[in-house]
Amino acid sequence: MSRGVVLRGLLGAALLIGGWELCVWAFSLPQWILPPPSGILATTWSARAALLPAAAMTAYEALSGYAIGAALGIALAMILALATPLRALLLPMVVAVNSVPVAAYAPLALLWFGTGALSKIIMVAFIVGFTVFLNALDGLTRVDPAAVSLLRSFGAGRLRVLWVLRLPSALPAIATGLRISTVRAMIVTLVTEMLGSQLGLGWTIFQAVLLIDFLQVWAAILVASIISLVFFGVVSAIERRVVFWR
Amino acid sequence: MKLSISGVGKNFGAVRALDRVDLDIAPGEFVTLIGPSGCGKSTLFNMLAGLLEPDAGGSILLDGKAGALLGRTAFMPQRDLLLPWRNVLDNALLPCEIEGLPRASSRARAEKMAVDFGLRGFEKHYPQQLSGGMRQRVALMRTFMFERDLMLLDEPFGALDALTRSMMQRWLLDIWERYRRTILFITHDIDEAIFLADRVVVMSTRPGRIKLDRPIELPRPRDAHLLTAPEFTAIKRELLDAVEEESLKSFSA
Repeated sequence: MSRGVVLRGLLGAALLIGGWELCVWAFSLPQWILPPPSGILATTWSARAALLPAAAMTAYEALSGYAIGAALGIALAMILALATPLRALLLPMVVAVNSVPVAAYAPLALLWFGTGALSKIIMVAFIVGFTVFLNALDGLTRVDPAAVSLLRSFGAGRLRVLWVLRLPSALPAIATGLRISTVRAMIVTLVTEMLGSQLGLGWTIFQAVLLIDFLQVWAAILVASIISLVFFGVVSAIERRVVFWR
Repeated sequence: MKLSISGVGKNFGAVRALDRVDLDIAPGEFVTLIGPSGCGKSTLFNMLAGLLEPDAGGSILLDGKAGALLGRTAFMPQRDLLLPWRNVLDNALLPCEIEGLPRASSRARAEKMAVDFGLRGFEKHYPQQLSGGMRQRVALMRTFMFERDLMLLDEPFGALDALTRSMMQRWLLDIWERYRRTILFITHDIDEAIFLADRVVVMSTRPGRIKLDRPIELPRPRDAHLLTAPEFTAIKRELLDAVEEESLKSFSA
């Protein structure tokens, strides 16, 4: 990313926050509709002792689930890329399961795996796994047949073709899946936390709403957004390094 | 390596793509193959590369022996198919890697060969940083690194502009005289076919057969002036007639 892009991004954010602040004062909006950014920042700072452990829990759940889901998704895609008959059998079902909004499974996850971190990690692994799996499988199977023929003419077997051709060709698609998954992992963590947990930013938000403490709600949203942005940024930066030929 | 093809045919469902092809190629010979599009040239190549089985009754012998052809001929498809995540040297080393040859010695061989292929100083470049002519030289070098006596080149210069193409033709002849491989070369360009070959083979429209087998006795080394020499023009006229006749047939069919 060039410095100009970063600068323009920062300028845009500053304008938005400034405008927000100005609107709140100009129309003297009540806090429960929209608190001013300055108030949110102040609350975030003063509530840091409670927000920090919640943020750490949320980040832990999202990252663990993400790592597990990504690894499983890629591994399963590689297996199905080799086993064509199995793919034809399983793929329709996978797509069907994936098309149900994840939040629908969250109560079941809580029922089966409790209100601790495990239920969130499994939910995140589930959604990330599907996203990465579908992207990876698409990348692995959509290779140039002429390139496969060329490798075969050099004497390469299926495993060799997977390693030398399919996997590198699939990297852009896999990277896209991983990038989209960062945000999804955060969303699923927060939603599942809201439905049942003892600690985490989603839980903080849910409780603060019950207590009609809207500044606290916004403070938790701010912290969750920062985690999400950093997560997305780091994965995007890695993507640009790994998929350099694109 | 001596190649003998006899009675080789291929059906795809109800379509007869290739009809009893007979062709012998002597070791070290440079043979070009021309014919209207869809005449089965690429089908023939895929069979020679071992990627496709000929129909029963036909035989393909290498040095008089039958057997699996996969991995026994060096095949170069129409497009360069360079892998964008590998640099020039690693692309050229691909066949050696698949064969499981020791990396250090293959690397040394590739570095030496890169000089002949005009790729010196570009070893660490990636394909997307190269011109079309250079990419094609990398693909050719990759084919040469797969050390097989018989090389199958499927329109390697088809996508190049006319100037680059004629330079590449002279360069290929130079490389061929230095490395002495047997080459079977598909092209759509009659000038190219005559300029390069010891023999030009014309294929008929589908179902493909050998229509004409014309030895080219023009002296070597050949240079650009040959293209305007009267003996060249005479051969060209003869071949044009044969190709035209077939093209017309495929057009009216």
